[in-house]
Amino acid sequence: MAFLKVVQWIVWKDLVTEIRSRETISSMVFFALIVILIFSFSFSMNQQAAQEVIAGIIWVAFAFTGIIGLGKSFSSELQNDCLESLQMVPAPKGAIFLGKVTANFAFIFVVEILLFPMFVIFFNLDVIEEIPILLLIFFLATIGLSAVGTLFSALTVQIRAREVMLPILLLPLVVPVMIAAVEATKGALHGDPFSLYRQWVELLSIFDVVFTVVSFWLFEFVMDS
Amino acid sequence: MIHKAIRRIQRLKGWFGGGAALCIFAGLYLGLIDSPPDYYQGEVVRIMYVHVPLAHTALFAYTVLFGGSVWYLWKRDPIVDNMCHACAALSAIFTALALATGMIWGKPTWNTWWTWDARLTSFIVLLLILIGYLMLRTFIDDPEKEARYAAVLAILGFVDLPIIHFSVEWWRTLHQPQSFSIRGVSISSGLLVPLFCMSVGMSLLFSYMLMVRTQLLYLTHLLHAKKGRLLSQFHLSKADS
Amino acid sequence: MTTFYTKWGAMLVAMSILSILTYNHYQQDLATLSPQHILESPPAEEVRLLGMVRGGTLRGDLEAGDAQFDVVEEETSLPVKYHGPPPENLRELKTLVLIGTWNPTAKVFEARDIGLVTNYGFVMGAYLIGLLPLVLIVFSMSRKVSLLYTEIKESTVYQPE
Repeated sequence: MAFLKVVQWIVWKDLVTEIRSRETISSMVFFALIVILIFSFSFSMNQQAAQEVIAGIIWVAFAFTGIIGLGKSFSSELQNDCLESLQMVPAPKGAIFLGKVTANFAFIFVVEILLFPMFVIFFNLDVIEEIPILLLIFFLATIGLSAVGTLFSALTVQIRAREVMLPILLLPLVVPVMIAAVEATKGALHGDPFSLYRQWVELLSIFDVVFTVVSFWLFEFVMDS
Repeated sequence: MIHKAIRRIQRLKGWFGGGAALCIFAGLYLGLIDSPPDYYQGEVVRIMYVHVPLAHTALFAYTVLFGGSVWYLWKRDPIVDNMCHACAALSAIFTALALATGMIWGKPTWNTWWTWDARLTSFIVLLLILIGYLMLRTFIDDPEKEARYAAVLAILGFVDLPIIHFSVEWWRTLHQPQSFSIRGVSISSGLLVPLFCMSVGMSLLFSYMLMVRTQLLYLTHLLHAKKGRLLSQFHLSKADS
Repeated sequence: MTTFYTKWGAMLVAMSILSILTYNHYQQDLATLSPQHILESPPAEEVRLLGMVRGGTLRGDLEAGDAQFDVVEEETSLPVKYHGPPPENLRELKTLVLIGTWNPTAKVFEARDIGLVTNYGFVMGAYLIGLLPLVLIVFSMSRKVSLLYTEIKESTVYQPE
């Protein structure tokens, strides 16, 4: 039972730290808002053109915001030797991985939920019926992003150019998540029947399963001191 | 003083090099002089004899990188780590050349330099993963950590590769008419023989280059050690007192 | 080191032989004549004529494989009578290569086939870009390895003073 206890403890630790200081989520939300604003300025478009690119804009904003949150998750452990103490925890390192993934997932998902109404308002989307399926797409894609991102965050926190290396290493590997999320969101926003973009949701689930398992197994090699 | 695996490589590499030269010369002769031009594309189809073997060899190289990384994480052998580093650099070169020849093939056949074709796009993503691997190797100072982290990255990248390929392919079939997805080469047997020859030759050439480069990395380290450049200032000052 | 340079010298010789053979093979495809050349010094054997189909001169039954048109290059124009396999991409203002003979009595070029205007630059560029970097890289790596072997043998272990 030490495994589950460690997972719970790490999730609780990250959540409490965040609730008290609120620095990660607030910086992520404001960064995403700025990204939305810049996209609105760069694509001066009419209603018709907006429908084509809005799914892409949403996911670009979420990807870059997610990278900020993922970077912070392990770099906050660098102070006071927290990283070394994590390495000494007498439980399988996979427990730490699961705890961190859950915490990161929670942060990114909350930011996505907070931001989606802004998108609806700024770009005049009409999506009330599609909310459940959109939530499912966000859920699956965020799991994929957090699983691979937590592994890379732990990996890059100990090397030199850490803020730059995380996106460079992470983004090529999550290309399937990006493609699938954008296509599925596009289908959902258009109001297409589910069977049309169902393959993308399936792809997201496969990616999540495969990569959570592989990252879980590989995390042990990253956390060895 | 030289590790016995390296000595074994030194003896074997001649065979691979000779075999590579033989196959590539035969393939070039068959491809350029002996085989007929394609019905639709004319002489331009001969670029296929360079592009497709390069692409196959790039994927083969990445598989070798994956195998070497798993081997390293299992046995922690530093020579295997040298081999992985060598393999990644060569893999990046082959991928970049495959992309360049693919673009040159695209211009006369499709009249564009670049198109978001499934194979070209997944090769660009592969190139980015490899460049990230090489950057990671450069930015870590501790050699043991460098080897471990690089192995983790290579394994993740390899597992991702089929998923990337399928997602890009589905994405392209959605957005482009079917006429682009096949290269329009009517594969007749006259075209297959030089292609096979060049593919085998390129793989042998890659193996030869891998052996040479592994030797290069190992010997450079050995020379540095022999000349005392790997000693830190701490050791040097200790030796004085 | 000498065996190293001998081996690579042999490689260089083999590469040159291959390039000469390739060049000779394609020489005949590269030799095309212009309309002016044919008018001035009419050839007796079958040649390849390169020119553009002049606008407004294409007539004939294309499905049956018969066509008459004028081929022009820089002011000089030459009448052509084509009889051969049905041409798929014969249109006005298109540059093409015609294989046939010059008929001096009827003063017309009788073409029996249309060849492709191949741009050999692409093929050559692709082969050069694809193969030359590999050769250079293999050469420099092998040379470095040979040099390192000799240097390791000759150097002594570092002794701090």
